[in-house]
Formats: sequence, structure tokens, C-alpha cells
Amino acid sequence: MGRAVKQRALVVVCVALAACAGVLGLRKNQPEAFPHRKHVLSGIACTKCHVDIDKGSALHLPQQETCIGCHTKPHDSNACSNCHGTQTAVDALNDARDHLKFDHSRHLPRANNNCMRCHVGVAEGDERLRPTMAVCFKCHEKEQSARQCDSCHRDLETDGEMPASHLAHDGNWLRDHGARAASSADLCQTCHTEKSCASCHGVTVAALPATRRFADPFTASVHRAGFAARHSLEAKTDPAACQSCHQPQRCATCHIAKGVAGDDRASPHPAGWVGPFDNQHGREARRDPAACASCHGGAGEQLCVQCHKVGGVGGSIHPPGWRSNVSMGSMPCRLCHPIGVR
Amino acid sequence: MKRFAAVALALAASRVSADPLRLRADALATTQSPAGLVMLEADAKASATINAEAVLWTAASPLPGQEAGDVLVMAVRARTRDGRASGRIGRFVATLGALRPVHLDGAAGRVRLPHRFDVEAYAGVPVMPGLATDRAWDWAAGGRVSRRLGDFGSVGVAMLEQRDAGKLATREVGVDAGLQLDKHDDLGARFAYDLANPGIADVGGSVIRRDGKLRGELYGGYRAASHLLPATSLFTVLGDTPSSRAGGILSGRVAPRLEVGGDMGVRGAGGDIAPALALRTRLALDDKFASAISGELRRDGLGEDKWSGARVAARIALPYSFTAASEVEVVVPDVDRGRGRVWPWALAALAWDHGPWHAAAAVEASASAEYRRRIDALFTLGRQWGAP
Repeated sequence: MGRAVKQRALVVVCVALAACAGVLGLRKNQPEAFPHRKHVLSGIACTKCHVDIDKGSALHLPQQETCIGCHTKPHDSNACSNCHGTQTAVDALNDARDHLKFDHSRHLPRANNNCMRCHVGVAEGDERLRPTMAVCFKCHEKEQSARQCDSCHRDLETDGEMPASHLAHDGNWLRDHGARAASSADLCQTCHTEKSCASCHGVTVAALPATRRFADPFTASVHRAGFAARHSLEAKTDPAACQSCHQPQRCATCHIAKGVAGDDRASPHPAGWVGPFDNQHGREARRDPAACASCHGGAGEQLCVQCHKVGGVGGSIHPPGWRSNVSMGSMPCRLCHPIGVR
Repeated sequence: MKRFAAVALALAASRVSADPLRLRADALATTQSPAGLVMLEADAKASATINAEAVLWTAASPLPGQEAGDVLVMAVRARTRDGRASGRIGRFVATLGALRPVHLDGAAGRVRLPHRFDVEAYAGVPVMPGLATDRAWDWAAGGRVSRRLGDFGSVGVAMLEQRDAGKLATREVGVDAGLQLDKHDDLGARFAYDLANPGIADVGGSVIRRDGKLRGELYGGYRAASHLLPATSLFTVLGDTPSSRAGGILSGRVAPRLEVGGDMGVRGAGGDIAPALALRTRLALDDKFASAISGELRRDGLGEDKWSGARVAARIALPYSFTAASEVEVVVPDVDRGRGRVWPWALAALAWDHGPWHAAAAVEASASAEYRRRIDALFTLGRQWGAP
């Protein structure tokens, strides 16, 4: 390979990497966070820019005219905030306006008009402006202990804001939330309403939230994408997972409705399912009992009892060492064990 | 004048009481069952300490006898001003620590006791689908005692008993723990034991560590399907063939707009053990992640039910509050059993979110064991009233 070709290849690689860096968000020419710290260190009072904040203004963003009051010779005609302030800061402010019940005019006198008592992050840099909840809790201890989140927050379910002490919802939350919500149900209730649990765990669910929001491919769901096609594989791999939300009858109800099961259909079981030599049904029933119960539950259990009753040809269905606290005269024991026969 | 003032006062009063009321209505129509679904949601705050919520739906299907409707939630919640006691009554999903959730028509309460102890309990009738009323002495009751550990976690012990037609269906005890160990680490664990047919019903837990933009997790789980069925079923006496899983997840934002994650685990059931692997990545096309592309590779399943899959999804924000989205998934089962060697699935959607309105239309196409080729259309229209 000639040297010229190598140089061209190097240029192409550099251009490609630069393009990738832009796509990945690794850009240097982004707007910078507003230099709050620099202004504070220059001795400029916060209220000089954030005018009228002590008169009931909730959450405040200075106007262009305020900047020009001091910076009389701006270096171009663009709005100052286009470069001196990040869009994420503006978004965070708008988000706070939507989701927080807050009034600066009530807080300023209590803080002796010292904004830094709450906005402690300004002393460290320009990135963290909004006080953390830990700062709020220094005074609002009662609201914290009583978990009265709605005294400051509105519509927490859509806001998604959480104090640092809460278990975070990142990672595979869908799979882990059971273990994590187990010890924190009261915490969950501070943000989530009844429908949050019932939308999936309810017996009478018509359609999962992700099914109803089909146009958002990033909505988490256990039944995402082509689940209908692969559900039999997933159910056989982890049969108990289905029972987290579904009743055992669910399989049969759906299969009958779709016409893949029912009285007029041939048996879905393969050859050798029940027999003296190649007897698969016992192993499969132990592995996925809910699947059996779906069709053979209730009155259908009599089919099993024909062979597996005491003294029957099927023998005992219990494994060695089996024990139960269900009374022998109760269901399902009495199906196979006539009264008084163990 | 007095009449005018009275009318004005009544209007003002109705406005004030209506302010905290929120309503949402969603209609979903598909060419697959259910063909039509309407959901209505409402929640309201009577005061800072009392609120109510209801979610109900009605659906129509082209299949005879499939028309249905039901109430998913209808509950009133109340609490004391200091948060020491709270209660709810109506239809709701009740959870107690490590025990399985129960959809209940009943009541539940929680009281905070001295020395950081909490007591909670519920009792009621388990919900049956389709507004069924032919229930004979079905009931469920449970309680949990827990202790808070500072403001960083709690541990608890719970017990549940459920009767179907007076017969013992579930008697279960559970232990749970959730701890925020420090700024970077947290832990959640639960253990449920079946007392009706003694044996472990469900165990699960995970430990998570976050370090900057990286997140690592170790998880494990064990479930015995036979212990999760009601004890009145013959299929609970077959003995254990539990399914279990364990593994680790490493994920993080490797660039401002690029998230990458991998899940490496193993599954086991009935003597079979197999890897469960997933590799996921998401690239945002803007700083707000409004537009993004994601990809996922998976390897899962046990025995003859192993499968490999790939999924690509994209969401692109368009002008005028429109969003275009598309998903493509391809699943290849290891053993086709005459059900097709490849199961592709694809969806293309266009959504419009404008203020309180949400509308979307999509076309879904697939080929699977059930249908050699299938194309469906989906539509949804929703509106919210009274959102903040």
C-alpha cells in the first residue's frame, strides 16, 4: 500500500471518527452552563438578575434585557442564553415548574434572603443549580418522615423524581421490582397509584400498558415485540414466571378463543405422552403444573385420578418424602385418597 | 342579585372541587382480538389525606362471547396527616413483602408503631374476572410486620392465607429486605415459603452497584411453579421441579448519547441448564433521547425450547408533535418442530402527542408457529383531563 493511500485512509478514518463522536454526543461546541459561580464571586446579588423573585415568582429565568443591563456590548445579536446556558438547565427548570409546588417568596425570608443556603451547588460549579432533596429535608423533616411527598410534588408518577435514599428504578427494573418493592410498598405508594400494580398484576387486565402504548418501542414490557410467537418457549423455560400475573386458566382460555385448543381439536400432546415405556407426562407436569391445570384443572383432574388413585395403575404421583398440611378429607387429597385411606 | 350570587358561588365551588379530579380515556382498536377496547381512568383528591381512583374497561371482539368489561381498580385511600396510619378500601392489588400480589375486593391498612416498626394487613375477597358473583366463601387475609432501618431500608416478615370455597388454597410466609447500603450500592431480597405443601415457593434478590456512569448487578431467583398454584389443585402435589436463574448485568452510558449493556446469566429447570444472554445498546439521536435507535441480541431458553433473537427499534421525533417508530424482531428457535425456522415480527407506527391528546396508528406484521403470515392494524386515541 502506497504512502498516499495510507494518508487518505487515515484522513477517512479521522473524519469517520469525528462524525461518530458527533453522533455519540461527544461535541465540544455545545452551549456551556451559565457561569453562576463567576457572577456570585463577582459580588453580584442573585436578585439583581432574578428580579422579582421575592414577590411570588415561582421558578425564574432572567430575560435578555436583564443581561444587557450590565453587558452593554454583547458580542453578537443572538440571545445570550443560546450559548451561556444549557438546554438541559432550561428543560429542568420547565420540568420543575410543571411538577413542583414551590414559591421563592415564602422561602427567601426564612433563608435570610441568602439564596446560597439552598442553592449550595452554585459554590462548587455551574452544573448543579437545583438543590437536592436532602437540602429540602433539612427543614422539611416532618414531610419526609410522614412521606408527604405531595406537599411539594405534583404528579410524581410522571415526574419520576426520587430522593437519593430511594431504591433506584434503573437496570432491569421490570424483572427486579418484585424483590425491591417487597420491602418498600409504602414508598412505592408515595408516587404510584393503585393502577401501577393493577395494570399488570390485576386479574382483570384487558391490555398491558405497553400494548396500549404500542407506538413507543422503548416502553418496558415482559410481552414486548413478537412475544405472542415465542411465548410457548418462554413459558416452558420459566413456567412459574407466568403465574406471577396469570391464572392457570389463562392458557386454555386464550387457546380455545384462538381455536388452537378445545373439544373439537386433536390432543396437543406428542406420541408417548402417556404409556408404559415412554412416559413424558409426569416429568412435564412437574415442570409446568400450571400448563396442565389450565386444561385439566377442576373437573379435569378426574382424568389423572383414573390411574393415579390409591391402588391405581399409575402409582403415587408424590415424590419421595412428600408431605402436606392440607387435611386428607379436603381437596385435592380426597380425589385419590378415599376417606381413611392414606 | 342573591340568586346570581348563589349561582356564581355554586359554579366556583364546583370548579374548586373539580380541580383535583383527573380523567383519562383511551380507546384501542386492533384487527386482532380484542378488536376494540375502551379504558377509563379517574383519580381525585378530596383533601390532602383522602383520594380515590378508578380504572375500568370494556372490550368488544369479533369472536362470539368475547365481549367483556371489568373494573380493574376502584379504591378510596385515606391517611392521617402525620402519615402514621393509612388505609384503603375497594378493589386493588394488595402486596405484602415477599408474598405474591393479590387482586382483592376488600380493605387494607398500615400503621407506624414506635421503635420504627410498621404493621400492615389486608383482608377481602379475591377478584374473579368478568364481574363474577358466584363465589362461595372465598377470602384472603394477610399481614406483615416490618422494621425500618434508618432511612436506608427495611426488613419484614409477612404471612398470607387464602381460601377458595372455604378450602385452603394458599398459606404462605415470606421474609423481605431492601437496603440502600450507601450512595453506590443497594440490595433487594425476598423469600417465600409455602406452608400448605411445605416447600420454597419463591426466592429472589439482587445487589446493585453504581459507579459513575457504570452500573453492575448480580441477581438470582428460584421459583417452584407447583407452590404458586392454589393448594386445592391436584397439580400442587407432584413435587418440586423449580426453575432458577442467576447472573450479572453490566451497563452504562459509554458516551453522552450511547448506552450499552450486557446480561450474562444461566437458567435451570428440571435438570436442564443453559445460558441466558442479552446484549443491548441504545443510541440517542438528540440530547433529550426523544429520538433513538436501539438494538438487542438474545440467547435464551432451555432444552428443546432454546432460541436466539435480534431486535432493532427506532423512535424518531418529527415536527408538529408527531413521532415515527419502528421495531423489527427475528426469533430463531433451535428446534422448529414444523412451526417454522424463523419467526419475524415487525411494527411501524406513527404517533401524535399534543397537549392532553395522544393518537397513534400502526401496522404489525409477523410470521410464527400460529400464523404463516399475518398483518394487523392498530389504532389508539387517548385524552387526559385535569393533568397538571
